[in-house]
Amino acid sequence: MIFFEFAKRNLARHKFRSVLAVIGIVIGVLAITALGILGNSVRLAASEQLCMIGNELVVFPYGEEAISEDDFEKIDKVADAIPVRSSVDKVILNGESTLVMIYGMRSEDIPKLMEKEDGQFLKHGSLNCLVGSRLADYYDLRVGERAAIGSQKPRIVGILKERGIGFDISPDNAIIISDKMFSSLYDSTSGYNSVIVKVDNIEDVEEVREEIEDRLNKKEEVVMVMELKMIVEGIKELFNTISIFLLGIGAISLLVAGVSILNVMMMSTVERTKEIGVMRAIGTSRSGILRMFLFESLILGAFGGVIGAILGFGTGFLVDVLILKEASYLFAPSSIFYVFVGIAFGIGTSVISGLYPAWRASRLKPIEALRYE
Amino acid sequence: MNVVELVEVTKVYELPRGSIKALDNVTANIEAGEFISVMGPSGSGKTTLLNIIGCLDSPTSGRVAIGGENVSGLDDDNLTKIRRDKIGFVFQQFNLIPTLTALENIAYPLILKGVNGHERRTKELLSAVGLDEQLGENKPTELSGGEQQRVAIARALANDPDIILADEPTGNLDSKTSKDILQLLKETNERGKTIVVVTHDPLVASYTSRTFRLVDGRVEDKVRNFK
Repeated sequence: MIFFEFAKRNLARHKFRSVLAVIGIVIGVLAITALGILGNSVRLAASEQLCMIGNELVVFPYGEEAISEDDFEKIDKVADAIPVRSSVDKVILNGESTLVMIYGMRSEDIPKLMEKEDGQFLKHGSLNCLVGSRLADYYDLRVGERAAIGSQKPRIVGILKERGIGFDISPDNAIIISDKMFSSLYDSTSGYNSVIVKVDNIEDVEEVREEIEDRLNKKEEVVMVMELKMIVEGIKELFNTISIFLLGIGAISLLVAGVSILNVMMMSTVERTKEIGVMRAIGTSRSGILRMFLFESLILGAFGGVIGAILGFGTGFLVDVLILKEASYLFAPSSIFYVFVGIAFGIGTSVISGLYPAWRASRLKPIEALRYE
Repeated sequence: MNVVELVEVTKVYELPRGSIKALDNVTANIEAGEFISVMGPSGSGKTTLLNIIGCLDSPTSGRVAIGGENVSGLDDDNLTKIRRDKIGFVFQQFNLIPTLTALENIAYPLILKGVNGHERRTKELLSAVGLDEQLGENKPTELSGGEQQRVAIARALANDPDIILADEPTGNLDSKTSKDILQLLKETNERGKTIVVVTHDPLVASYTSRTFRLVDGRVEDKVRNFK
Protein backbone atom coordinates (compact mmCIF):
# COMPACT_ATOMS: atom_id res chain seq x y z
CA MET A 1 0.00 0.00 0.00
CA ILE A 2 1.84 3.02 -1.33
CA PHE A 3 0.03 5.62 0.83
CA PHE A 4 0.84 3.73 4.03
CA GLU A 5 4.46 3.68 2.93
CA PHE A 6 4.31 7.46 2.31
CA ALA A 7 2.84 7.97 5.77
CA LYS A 8 5.65 5.96 7.39
CA ARG A 9 8.37 7.81 5.50
CA ASN A 10 6.86 11.23 6.12
CA LEU A 11 6.74 10.53 9.84
CA ALA A 12 10.33 9.30 9.74
CA ARG A 13 11.32 12.51 7.93
CA HIS A 14 10.41 14.53 11.04
CA LYS A 15 11.35 12.06 13.76
CA PHE A 16 11.53 14.51 16.63
CA ARG A 17 8.16 16.04 15.82
CA SER A 18 6.55 12.62 15.43
CA VAL A 19 8.02 11.44 18.72
CA LEU A 20 6.63 14.51 20.51
CA ALA A 21 3.19 13.89 19.02
CA VAL A 22 3.36 10.24 20.12
CA ILE A 23 4.40 11.28 23.64
CA GLY A 24 1.26 13.40 23.87
CA ILE A 25 -0.90 10.40 23.01
CA VAL A 26 1.14 8.15 25.33
CA ILE A 27 0.42 10.44 28.29
CA GLY A 28 -3.28 10.59 27.49
CA VAL A 29 -3.64 6.83 27.06
CA LEU A 30 -1.47 6.20 30.13
CA ALA A 31 -3.78 8.39 32.19
CA ILE A 32 -6.95 6.74 30.88
CA THR A 33 -5.64 3.21 31.32
CA ALA A 34 -4.03 3.70 34.73
CA LEU A 35 -6.93 5.70 36.18
CA GLY A 36 -9.45 3.30 34.66
CA ILE A 37 -7.67 0.33 36.24
CA LEU A 38 -7.38 2.19 39.54
CA GLY A 39 -11.08 3.05 39.62
CA ASN A 40 -11.99 -0.49 38.71
CA SER A 41 -9.64 -2.01 41.31
CA VAL A 42 -11.13 0.18 44.03
CA ARG A 43 -14.59 -0.94 42.97
CA LEU A 44 -13.53 -4.60 42.94
CA ALA A 45 -11.85 -4.26 46.32
CA ALA A 46 -14.96 -2.70 47.80
CA SER A 47 -17.37 -5.21 46.32
CA GLU A 48 -15.21 -8.00 47.66
CA GLN A 49 -15.60 -6.58 51.17
CA LEU A 50 -19.26 -5.74 50.91
CA CYS A 51 -22.11 -8.13 50.46
CA MET A 52 -24.30 -6.36 47.98
CA ILE A 53 -27.69 -8.01 47.88
CA GLY A 54 -30.31 -5.76 46.44
CA ASN A 55 -33.51 -7.69 46.98
CA GLU A 56 -33.58 -7.52 50.78
CA LEU A 57 -35.20 -5.29 53.32
CA VAL A 58 -33.94 -5.13 56.88
CA VAL A 59 -36.43 -4.17 59.55
CA PHE A 60 -34.99 -2.67 62.73
CA PRO A 61 -36.87 -1.67 65.84
CA TYR A 62 -37.41 2.05 66.08
CA GLY A 63 -35.58 3.33 69.16
CA GLU A 64 -34.19 0.79 71.58
CA GLU A 65 -36.82 -1.89 71.79
CA ALA A 66 -36.75 -5.14 69.93
CA ILE A 67 -39.29 -6.27 67.34
CA SER A 68 -42.01 -8.20 69.11
CA GLU A 69 -43.26 -11.62 68.04
CA ASP A 70 -46.56 -10.03 67.02
CA ASP A 71 -44.87 -7.50 64.81
CA PHE A 72 -42.74 -10.22 63.28
CA GLU A 73 -45.90 -12.16 62.38
CA LYS A 74 -47.25 -9.06 60.66
CA ILE A 75 -44.09 -8.69 58.61
CA ASP A 76 -44.07 -12.38 57.76
CA LYS A 77 -47.57 -12.02 56.30
CA VAL A 78 -46.33 -9.40 53.85
CA ALA A 79 -43.35 -11.40 52.68
CA ASP A 80 -41.10 -14.26 53.72
CA ALA A 81 -39.31 -12.90 56.81
CA ILE A 82 -36.26 -14.09 58.74
CA PRO A 83 -36.05 -13.09 62.39
CA VAL A 84 -32.56 -12.46 63.75
CA ARG A 85 -31.42 -12.16 67.32
CA SER A 86 -27.97 -10.88 67.92
CA SER A 87 -25.67 -10.16 70.79
CA VAL A 88 -22.01 -9.52 71.45
CA ASP A 89 -20.40 -11.75 74.01
CA LYS A 90 -17.13 -13.09 75.27
CA VAL A 91 -16.29 -16.39 73.62
CA ILE A 92 -13.37 -18.73 74.04
CA LEU A 93 -12.00 -20.08 70.78
CA ASN A 94 -9.06 -22.44 70.71
CA GLY A 95 -8.20 -21.35 74.22
CA GLU A 96 -8.29 -17.63 73.45
CA SER A 97 -10.92 -15.34 74.79
CA THR A 98 -12.42 -12.75 72.48
CA LEU A 99 -15.50 -10.62 71.94
CA VAL A 100 -17.58 -11.95 69.09
CA MET A 101 -20.92 -11.21 67.41
CA ILE A 102 -23.41 -13.97 68.04
CA TYR A 103 -26.47 -14.45 65.86
CA GLY A 104 -29.40 -16.58 66.90
CA MET A 105 -31.41 -17.81 63.95
CA ARG A 106 -33.98 -20.43 63.07
CA SER A 107 -32.12 -23.35 61.54
CA GLU A 108 -34.23 -23.33 58.37
CA ASP A 109 -33.34 -19.66 57.75
CA ILE A 110 -29.56 -20.07 57.80
CA PRO A 111 -29.15 -21.58 54.31
CA LYS A 112 -31.27 -18.74 52.91
CA LEU A 113 -28.61 -16.20 53.83
CA MET A 114 -25.32 -18.09 53.99
CA GLU A 115 -23.35 -20.82 52.31
CA LYS A 116 -21.15 -23.31 54.08
CA GLU A 117 -17.51 -23.92 53.36
CA ASP A 118 -17.15 -27.06 55.44
CA GLY A 119 -19.26 -29.32 57.68
CA GLN A 120 -22.99 -28.87 57.84
CA PHE A 121 -25.69 -26.38 58.82
CA LEU A 122 -27.49 -26.48 62.17
CA LYS A 123 -30.31 -28.91 62.75
CA HIS A 124 -33.56 -27.70 64.29
CA GLY A 125 -33.03 -26.82 67.94
CA SER A 126 -29.37 -27.75 67.71
CA LEU A 127 -27.01 -26.91 70.54
CA ASN A 128 -24.06 -26.71 68.16
CA CYS A 129 -22.76 -23.67 66.30
CA LEU A 130 -21.45 -22.38 62.99
CA VAL A 131 -18.47 -20.03 62.72
CA GLY A 132 -17.70 -17.37 60.13
CA SER A 133 -14.82 -17.82 57.71
CA ARG A 134 -12.55 -15.06 59.03
CA LEU A 135 -13.03 -16.20 62.60
CA ALA A 136 -12.22 -19.75 61.56
CA ASP A 137 -9.11 -18.58 59.73
CA TYR A 138 -7.87 -16.36 62.52
CA TYR A 139 -8.32 -18.90 65.33
CA ASP A 140 -7.57 -21.88 63.12
CA LEU A 141 -10.92 -23.49 63.94
CA ARG A 142 -11.93 -26.87 62.53
CA VAL A 143 -15.21 -28.69 62.35
CA GLY A 144 -15.62 -30.79 65.49
CA GLU A 145 -13.89 -28.41 67.88
CA ARG A 146 -15.76 -26.70 70.66
CA ALA A 147 -16.28 -23.07 71.43
CA ALA A 148 -17.22 -21.74 74.83
CA ILE A 149 -19.97 -19.12 75.17
CA GLY A 150 -20.83 -18.39 78.80
CA SER A 151 -21.91 -21.64 80.38
CA GLN A 152 -22.38 -23.45 77.05
CA LYS A 153 -19.79 -25.31 75.02
CA PRO A 154 -21.27 -25.75 71.56
CA ARG A 155 -19.52 -27.94 69.02
CA ILE A 156 -18.56 -26.31 65.72
CA VAL A 157 -20.43 -28.30 63.09
CA GLY A 158 -19.89 -26.02 60.11
CA ILE A 159 -17.69 -23.25 58.78
CA LEU A 160 -19.35 -20.63 56.61
CA LYS A 161 -18.19 -19.24 53.32
CA GLU A 162 -16.91 -15.67 53.25
CA ARG A 163 -19.85 -13.32 52.68
CA GLY A 164 -18.45 -9.80 53.14
CA ILE A 165 -19.75 -7.00 55.29
CA GLY A 166 -23.51 -6.98 54.89
CA PHE A 167 -26.15 -4.47 55.82
CA ASP A 168 -28.33 -7.35 57.00
CA ILE A 169 -25.88 -9.67 58.77
CA SER A 170 -22.11 -9.93 58.75
CA PRO A 171 -21.35 -13.54 59.65
CA ASP A 172 -17.65 -13.60 58.67
CA ASN A 173 -16.47 -12.64 62.14
CA ALA A 174 -19.48 -14.10 63.97
CA ILE A 175 -20.83 -17.28 65.52
CA ILE A 176 -24.28 -18.53 64.49
CA ILE A 177 -26.33 -20.50 66.91
CA SER A 178 -29.92 -21.75 66.88
CA ASP A 179 -32.70 -19.60 68.28
CA LYS A 180 -33.23 -22.19 71.00
CA MET A 181 -29.62 -22.00 72.13
CA PHE A 182 -29.74 -18.21 71.92
CA SER A 183 -32.77 -18.17 74.22
CA SER A 184 -30.97 -20.34 76.71
CA LEU A 185 -28.01 -17.96 76.78
CA TYR A 186 -29.69 -14.58 76.70
CA ASP A 187 -32.98 -13.06 77.65
CA SER A 188 -34.93 -13.09 74.42
CA THR A 189 -38.44 -12.49 75.56
CA SER A 190 -38.49 -8.94 74.28
CA GLY A 191 -38.25 -10.05 70.64
CA TYR A 192 -35.89 -9.85 67.70
CA ASN A 193 -33.05 -7.45 66.99
CA SER A 194 -33.83 -7.34 63.32
CA VAL A 195 -35.95 -9.00 60.69
CA ILE A 196 -34.64 -9.67 57.21
CA VAL A 197 -37.18 -9.77 54.42
CA LYS A 198 -36.26 -11.41 51.15
CA VAL A 199 -38.26 -10.11 48.22
CA ASP A 200 -38.41 -12.49 45.27
CA ASN A 201 -38.54 -9.79 42.65
CA ILE A 202 -36.25 -6.79 43.08
CA GLU A 203 -38.86 -4.60 41.35
CA ASP A 204 -41.26 -5.21 44.26
CA VAL A 205 -38.87 -4.03 47.00
CA GLU A 206 -40.47 -0.59 47.22
CA GLU A 207 -43.97 -1.94 47.45
CA VAL A 208 -43.14 -4.49 50.17
CA ARG A 209 -41.37 -1.81 52.17
CA GLU A 210 -44.42 0.46 52.03
CA GLU A 211 -46.72 -2.31 53.06
CA ILE A 212 -44.59 -3.23 56.09
CA GLU A 213 -44.46 0.38 57.15
CA ASP A 214 -48.23 0.75 56.67
CA ARG A 215 -49.02 -2.28 58.79
CA LEU A 216 -46.56 -1.68 61.60
CA ASN A 217 -46.22 2.05 61.88
CA LYS A 218 -49.95 2.79 61.95
CA LYS A 219 -50.13 4.61 65.28
CA GLU A 220 -46.52 5.30 66.04
CA GLU A 221 -43.14 4.51 64.57
CA VAL A 222 -42.40 0.94 65.67
CA VAL A 223 -39.93 -0.14 63.04
CA MET A 224 -37.45 1.35 60.61
CA VAL A 225 -37.16 -0.37 57.25
CA MET A 226 -33.84 -0.23 55.46
CA GLU A 227 -33.88 -0.89 51.78
CA LEU A 228 -30.67 -2.58 50.61
CA LYS A 229 -31.46 -1.84 47.00
CA MET A 230 -31.05 1.87 47.61
CA ILE A 231 -27.82 1.43 49.51
CA VAL A 232 -26.41 -0.96 46.92
CA GLU A 233 -27.38 1.39 44.13
CA GLY A 234 -25.97 4.35 46.01
CA ILE A 235 -22.62 2.60 46.39
CA LYS A 236 -22.57 1.51 42.78
CA GLU A 237 -23.43 5.06 41.77
CA LEU A 238 -20.58 6.37 43.91
CA PHE A 239 -18.07 4.05 42.25
CA ASN A 240 -19.37 4.93 38.82
CA THR A 241 -18.92 8.59 39.65
CA ILE A 242 -15.36 7.97 40.83
CA SER A 243 -14.61 6.00 37.65
CA ILE A 244 -16.08 8.67 35.40
CA PHE A 245 -14.17 11.38 37.25
CA LEU A 246 -10.89 9.49 36.85
CA LEU A 247 -11.60 8.78 33.18
CA GLY A 248 -12.46 12.45 32.76
CA ILE A 249 -8.98 13.41 33.93
CA GLY A 250 -7.53 10.97 31.41
CA ALA A 251 -9.79 12.28 28.68
CA ILE A 252 -8.59 15.84 29.25
CA SER A 253 -4.97 14.84 28.74
CA LEU A 254 -5.99 12.93 25.63
CA LEU A 255 -7.82 16.01 24.35
CA VAL A 256 -4.61 18.01 24.75
CA ALA A 257 -2.77 15.29 22.84
CA GLY A 258 -5.42 15.47 20.11
CA VAL A 259 -4.87 19.20 19.74
CA SER A 260 -1.12 18.65 19.42
CA ILE A 261 -1.68 16.03 16.71
CA LEU A 262 -3.98 18.44 14.92
CA ASN A 263 -1.24 21.06 15.10
CA VAL A 264 1.46 18.69 13.86
CA MET A 265 -0.70 17.52 10.98
CA MET A 266 -1.68 21.07 10.01
CA MET A 267 1.97 22.09 9.95
CA SER A 268 2.73 19.06 7.87
CA THR A 269 0.04 19.77 5.27
CA VAL A 270 1.18 23.39 4.91
CA GLU A 271 4.84 22.41 4.60
CA ARG A 272 4.05 19.76 2.04
CA THR A 273 1.64 21.86 -0.05
CA LYS A 274 3.90 21.84 -3.08
CA GLU A 275 4.57 18.13 -2.74
CA ILE A 276 0.82 17.50 -2.59
CA GLY A 277 0.45 19.62 -5.73
CA VAL A 278 3.04 17.50 -7.54
CA MET A 279 1.42 14.28 -6.39
CA ARG A 280 -1.98 15.48 -7.53
CA ALA A 281 -0.58 16.71 -10.88
CA ILE A 282 0.96 13.37 -11.76
CA GLY A 283 -2.23 11.49 -11.03
CA THR A 284 -2.76 10.97 -7.29
CA SER A 285 -6.46 11.10 -6.42
CA ARG A 286 -7.95 13.15 -3.61
CA SER A 287 -8.68 9.99 -1.68
CA GLY A 288 -5.02 8.98 -2.02
CA ILE A 289 -3.89 12.21 -0.35
CA LEU A 290 -6.60 11.81 2.30
CA ARG A 291 -5.47 8.26 3.06
CA MET A 292 -1.82 9.26 3.25
CA PHE A 293 -2.53 11.80 6.01
CA LEU A 294 -5.01 9.60 7.83
CA PHE A 295 -2.44 6.80 7.89
CA GLU A 296 0.01 9.24 9.44
CA SER A 297 -2.33 10.07 12.30
CA LEU A 298 -3.29 6.40 12.59
CA ILE A 299 0.36 5.40 12.99
CA LEU A 300 0.93 8.13 15.60
CA GLY A 301 -2.19 7.01 17.44
CA ALA A 302 -1.33 3.31 17.28
CA PHE A 303 2.17 3.86 18.61
CA GLY A 304 0.96 6.24 21.31
CA GLY A 305 -1.95 3.96 22.18
CA VAL A 306 0.04 0.77 22.54
CA ILE A 307 2.95 2.35 24.42
CA GLY A 308 0.54 4.31 26.62
CA ALA A 309 -1.53 1.21 27.38
CA ILE A 310 1.56 -0.80 28.37
CA LEU A 311 2.79 2.01 30.63
CA GLY A 312 -0.73 2.49 31.95
CA PHE A 313 -0.98 -1.19 32.81
CA GLY A 314 2.39 -0.95 34.57
CA THR A 315 1.23 2.11 36.51
CA GLY A 316 -2.00 0.36 37.39
CA PHE A 317 0.05 -2.54 38.70
CA LEU A 318 2.18 -0.24 40.88
CA VAL A 319 -0.88 1.55 42.24
CA ASP A 320 -2.69 -1.70 42.97
CA VAL A 321 0.31 -3.18 44.74
CA LEU A 322 1.26 -0.04 46.66
CA ILE A 323 -2.17 1.30 47.60
CA LEU A 324 -4.55 -1.67 47.52
CA LYS A 325 -1.83 -4.25 48.27
CA GLU A 326 -3.44 -6.68 45.89
CA ALA A 327 -2.33 -7.27 42.31
CA SER A 328 -5.10 -9.68 41.34
CA TYR A 329 -7.57 -6.89 40.49
CA LEU A 330 -5.24 -5.94 37.64
CA PHE A 331 -5.99 -9.11 35.74
CA ALA A 332 -9.74 -8.96 36.17
CA PRO A 333 -11.45 -8.70 32.76
CA SER A 334 -12.98 -5.39 33.79
CA SER A 335 -9.47 -4.00 34.41
CA ILE A 336 -7.99 -5.42 31.18
CA PHE A 337 -10.94 -3.74 29.46
CA TYR A 338 -9.39 -0.34 30.27
CA VAL A 339 -6.20 -1.30 28.43
CA PHE A 340 -8.26 -1.63 25.27
CA VAL A 341 -10.30 1.46 26.08
CA GLY A 342 -7.00 3.37 26.33
CA ILE A 343 -5.70 2.06 23.00
CA ALA A 344 -9.03 2.73 21.29
CA PHE A 345 -9.24 6.27 22.65
CA GLY A 346 -5.62 6.95 21.67
CA ILE A 347 -6.12 5.82 18.09
CA GLY A 348 -9.56 7.44 17.93
CA THR A 349 -8.33 10.81 19.19
CA SER A 350 -5.44 10.86 16.82
CA VAL A 351 -7.43 9.81 13.75
CA ILE A 352 -10.16 12.35 14.55
CA SER A 353 -7.50 15.04 14.95
CA GLY A 354 -6.03 14.04 11.60
CA LEU A 355 -9.37 14.20 9.78
CA TYR A 356 -9.47 17.94 9.19
CA PRO A 357 -5.84 18.37 8.05
CA ALA A 358 -6.17 15.33 5.79
CA TRP A 359 -9.40 16.60 4.31
CA ARG A 360 -7.88 20.05 3.77
CA ALA A 361 -4.82 18.57 2.06
CA SER A 362 -6.99 16.45 -0.23
CA ARG A 363 -9.04 19.51 -1.28
CA LEU A 364 -6.02 21.59 -2.33
CA LYS A 365 -6.23 22.68 -5.95
CA PRO A 366 -3.32 21.11 -7.82
CA ILE A 367 -2.28 24.27 -9.71
CA GLU A 368 -2.38 26.43 -6.60
CA ALA A 369 -0.51 23.84 -4.59
CA LEU A 370 2.11 23.54 -7.34
CA ARG A 371 2.67 27.30 -7.26
CA TYR A 372 3.22 27.28 -3.47
CA GLU A 373 6.80 27.98 -2.41
CA MET B 1 -4.42 12.15 -35.48
CA ASN B 2 -4.64 15.08 -33.09
CA VAL B 3 -3.36 14.40 -29.60
CA VAL B 4 -4.58 17.79 -28.39
CA GLU B 5 -7.50 19.77 -29.77
CA LEU B 6 -8.26 23.24 -28.45
CA VAL B 7 -11.38 24.89 -29.82
CA GLU B 8 -12.03 28.53 -28.95
CA VAL B 9 -10.52 28.14 -25.53
CA THR B 10 -10.82 31.19 -23.28
CA LYS B 11 -9.65 31.41 -19.67
CA VAL B 12 -10.62 34.35 -17.50
CA TYR B 13 -9.27 34.81 -13.97
CA GLU B 14 -11.48 36.82 -11.65
CA LEU B 15 -9.21 38.86 -9.43
CA PRO B 16 -10.10 41.56 -6.89
CA ARG B 17 -8.68 44.20 -9.25
CA GLY B 18 -10.85 42.96 -12.11
CA SER B 19 -10.85 40.05 -14.50
CA ILE B 20 -7.81 39.00 -16.51
CA LYS B 21 -8.09 37.15 -19.77
CA ALA B 22 -5.21 34.68 -19.65
CA LEU B 23 -6.26 32.90 -22.82
CA ASP B 24 -8.30 34.56 -25.51
CA ASN B 25 -10.14 32.37 -27.98
CA VAL B 26 -7.29 29.95 -28.64
CA THR B 27 -7.83 27.32 -31.30
CA ALA B 28 -5.00 24.90 -31.98
CA ASN B 29 -4.30 21.28 -32.75
CA ILE B 30 -1.26 19.23 -31.84
CA GLU B 31 -0.65 16.14 -33.89
CA ALA B 32 0.81 12.89 -32.64
CA GLY B 33 4.59 12.91 -32.78
CA GLU B 34 4.98 16.68 -32.79
CA PHE B 35 7.55 18.51 -30.66
CA ILE B 36 6.09 21.89 -29.89
CA SER B 37 7.45 24.88 -28.04
CA VAL B 38 5.24 27.55 -26.57
CA MET B 39 6.95 30.93 -26.34
CA GLY B 40 5.93 34.35 -25.26
CA PRO B 41 6.66 37.03 -22.69
CA SER B 42 5.71 36.67 -19.02
CA GLY B 43 1.99 36.84 -18.49
CA SER B 44 1.20 35.91 -22.04
CA GLY B 45 -0.68 32.81 -20.89
CA LYS B 46 1.94 30.11 -21.57
CA THR B 47 1.54 28.37 -18.25
CA THR B 48 -2.24 28.70 -18.34
CA LEU B 49 -2.25 27.00 -21.74
CA LEU B 50 -0.05 24.21 -20.39
CA ASN B 51 -2.26 23.78 -17.30
CA ILE B 52 -5.35 23.50 -19.46
CA ILE B 53 -3.77 20.95 -21.79
CA GLY B 54 -2.51 19.14 -18.67
CA CYS B 55 -6.02 18.93 -17.15
CA LEU B 56 -4.87 20.86 -14.09
CA ASP B 57 -7.15 23.75 -14.93
CA SER B 58 -10.36 24.03 -16.91
CA PRO B 59 -11.19 26.72 -19.47
CA THR B 60 -13.86 29.36 -18.86
CA SER B 61 -15.24 28.55 -22.29
CA GLY B 62 -14.26 26.43 -25.26
CA ARG B 63 -13.56 22.76 -25.76
CA VAL B 64 -10.47 20.68 -24.93
CA ALA B 65 -9.84 17.12 -26.09
CA ILE B 66 -6.85 15.02 -25.08
CA GLY B 67 -6.10 11.86 -27.05
CA GLY B 68 -9.50 12.18 -28.70
CA GLU B 69 -11.38 12.38 -25.37
CA ASN B 70 -13.32 15.51 -24.51
CA VAL B 71 -12.18 16.58 -21.05
CA SER B 72 -14.48 19.58 -20.59
CA GLY B 73 -16.80 19.09 -17.67
CA LEU B 74 -15.08 16.01 -16.24
CA ASP B 75 -14.96 15.76 -12.43
CA ASP B 76 -11.80 15.79 -10.34
CA ASP B 77 -11.41 12.00 -10.15
CA ASN B 78 -11.68 11.57 -13.92
CA LEU B 79 -9.33 14.47 -14.65
CA THR B 80 -6.87 12.89 -12.20
CA LYS B 81 -7.07 9.61 -14.13
CA ILE B 82 -6.39 11.46 -17.42
CA ARG B 83 -3.36 13.15 -15.85
CA ARG B 84 -2.15 9.78 -14.59
CA ASP B 85 -2.65 7.80 -17.81
CA LYS B 86 -2.45 10.25 -20.73
CA ILE B 87 -0.15 13.04 -19.60
CA GLY B 88 3.44 13.17 -18.40
CA PHE B 89 4.61 16.25 -16.55
CA VAL B 90 8.15 17.65 -16.43
CA PHE B 91 8.63 20.68 -14.20
CA GLN B 92 11.22 23.44 -13.98
CA GLN B 93 12.07 22.46 -10.39
CA PHE B 94 12.04 18.71 -11.15
CA ASN B 95 9.47 18.14 -8.37
CA LEU B 96 10.41 14.59 -7.49
CA ILE B 97 8.78 13.19 -4.36
CA PRO B 98 11.46 13.63 -1.69
CA THR B 99 10.58 10.53 0.35
CA LEU B 100 10.94 8.21 -2.64
CA THR B 101 14.14 6.96 -4.28
CA ALA B 102 14.78 7.65 -7.96
CA LEU B 103 13.43 4.24 -8.96
CA GLU B 104 10.40 4.62 -6.71
CA ASN B 105 9.68 8.03 -8.23
CA ILE B 106 9.71 6.45 -11.68
CA ALA B 107 7.53 3.57 -10.47
CA TYR B 108 5.03 5.83 -8.71
CA PRO B 109 2.68 6.45 -11.71
CA LEU B 110 2.74 2.70 -12.42
CA ILE B 111 1.88 1.92 -8.79
CA LEU B 112 -0.94 4.48 -8.89
CA LYS B 113 -2.31 2.80 -11.98
CA GLY B 114 -1.98 -0.60 -10.32
CA VAL B 115 0.47 -2.06 -12.85
CA ASN B 116 1.88 -5.37 -11.66
CA GLY B 117 5.54 -6.26 -12.07
CA HIS B 118 6.66 -2.71 -12.69
CA GLU B 119 10.26 -3.35 -11.54
CA ARG B 120 11.55 -4.26 -15.00
CA ARG B 121 9.85 -1.35 -16.75
CA THR B 122 11.15 1.04 -14.07
CA LYS B 123 14.74 -0.12 -14.61
CA GLU B 124 14.35 0.14 -18.38
CA LEU B 125 13.12 3.70 -18.01
CA LEU B 126 16.06 4.55 -15.75
CA SER B 127 18.57 3.41 -18.32
CA ALA B 128 16.54 4.93 -21.18
CA VAL B 129 17.06 8.38 -19.65
CA GLY B 130 20.76 7.64 -19.35
CA LEU B 131 21.15 6.98 -15.65
CA ASP B 132 23.28 4.27 -14.01
CA GLU B 133 21.43 1.56 -12.18
CA GLN B 134 23.09 2.34 -8.85
CA LEU B 135 21.67 5.90 -8.92
CA GLY B 136 18.24 4.33 -8.76
CA GLU B 137 18.47 3.80 -5.00
CA ASN B 138 19.33 7.46 -4.33
CA LYS B 139 16.89 9.96 -2.90
CA PRO B 140 16.30 13.11 -5.02
CA THR B 141 18.44 15.23 -2.66
CA GLU B 142 21.38 12.95 -3.43
CA LEU B 143 21.13 13.60 -7.18
CA SER B 144 22.34 16.54 -9.29
CA GLY B 145 19.84 18.80 -11.06
CA GLY B 146 20.41 17.13 -14.40
CA GLU B 147 20.01 13.67 -12.85
CA GLN B 148 16.80 14.74 -11.12
CA GLN B 149 15.37 16.04 -14.38
CA ARG B 150 16.27 12.75 -16.10
CA VAL B 151 14.39 10.88 -13.36
CA ALA B 152 11.46 13.30 -13.82
CA ILE B 153 11.41 12.56 -17.56
CA ALA B 154 11.48 8.83 -16.86
CA ARG B 155 8.58 9.30 -14.42
CA ALA B 156 6.66 11.27 -17.07
CA LEU B 157 7.18 8.38 -19.51
CA ALA B 158 6.21 5.63 -17.07
CA ASN B 159 2.57 5.23 -18.01
CA ASP B 160 3.30 5.68 -21.73
CA PRO B 161 1.27 8.92 -21.95
CA ASP B 162 -0.15 10.51 -25.11
CA ILE B 163 1.74 13.69 -24.46
CA ILE B 164 4.59 15.06 -22.34
CA LEU B 165 4.17 18.57 -20.99
CA ALA B 166 7.33 20.34 -19.89
CA ASP B 167 7.29 23.74 -18.19
CA GLU B 168 10.74 25.39 -18.58
CA PRO B 169 12.46 22.00 -18.18
CA THR B 170 15.92 23.57 -18.44
CA GLY B 171 15.16 26.69 -16.40
CA ASN B 172 17.09 25.47 -13.37
CA LEU B 173 20.01 23.84 -15.20
CA ASP B 174 23.38 25.08 -16.47
CA SER B 175 23.83 25.34 -20.24
CA LYS B 176 25.74 22.07 -20.63
CA THR B 177 23.14 20.09 -18.70
CA SER B 178 20.35 21.96 -20.49
CA LYS B 179 21.63 20.72 -23.84
CA ASP B 180 21.79 17.14 -22.51
CA ILE B 181 18.20 17.33 -21.30
CA LEU B 182 17.02 18.90 -24.56
CA GLN B 183 18.80 16.15 -26.44
CA LEU B 184 17.04 13.58 -24.27
CA LEU B 185 13.67 15.21 -24.98
CA LYS B 186 14.48 15.28 -28.68
CA GLU B 187 15.37 11.58 -28.66
CA THR B 188 12.17 10.86 -26.78
CA ASN B 189 10.27 12.76 -29.47
CA GLU B 190 12.07 10.87 -32.19
CA ARG B 191 10.88 7.64 -30.59
CA GLY B 192 7.35 8.92 -31.25
CA LYS B 193 6.33 10.78 -28.12
CA THR B 194 4.40 14.05 -28.52
CA ILE B 195 6.01 16.81 -26.45
CA VAL B 196 4.99 20.37 -25.58
CA VAL B 197 7.61 22.61 -23.98
CA VAL B 198 6.90 26.01 -22.49
CA THR B 199 9.97 28.24 -22.62
CA HIS B 200 11.27 31.71 -23.22
CA ASP B 201 14.66 30.37 -24.31
CA PRO B 202 15.17 30.41 -28.13
CA LEU B 203 17.72 27.60 -27.74
CA VAL B 204 14.95 25.34 -26.41
CA ALA B 205 12.64 26.37 -29.24
CA SER B 206 15.33 25.53 -31.76
CA TYR B 207 15.06 21.85 -30.82
CA THR B 208 11.33 21.75 -31.54
CA SER B 209 9.47 21.28 -34.79
CA ARG B 210 6.83 23.96 -34.29
CA THR B 211 6.54 27.05 -32.11
CA PHE B 212 3.38 28.71 -30.79
CA ARG B 213 3.92 32.40 -30.05
CA LEU B 214 1.56 33.70 -27.38
CA VAL B 215 0.89 37.39 -26.88
CA ASP B 216 -1.75 38.58 -24.40
CA GLY B 217 -3.46 35.21 -24.36
CA ARG B 218 -3.70 34.90 -28.14
CA VAL B 219 -1.69 32.64 -30.40
CA GLU B 220 -0.06 35.18 -32.72
CA ASP B 221 1.50 32.65 -35.05
CA LYS B 222 2.40 29.02 -35.33
CA VAL B 223 5.85 28.75 -36.88
CA ARG B 224 7.33 25.65 -38.44
CA ASN B 225 10.97 25.37 -37.51
CA PHE B 226 13.29 24.18 -40.22
CA LYS B 227 16.64 22.60 -39.73
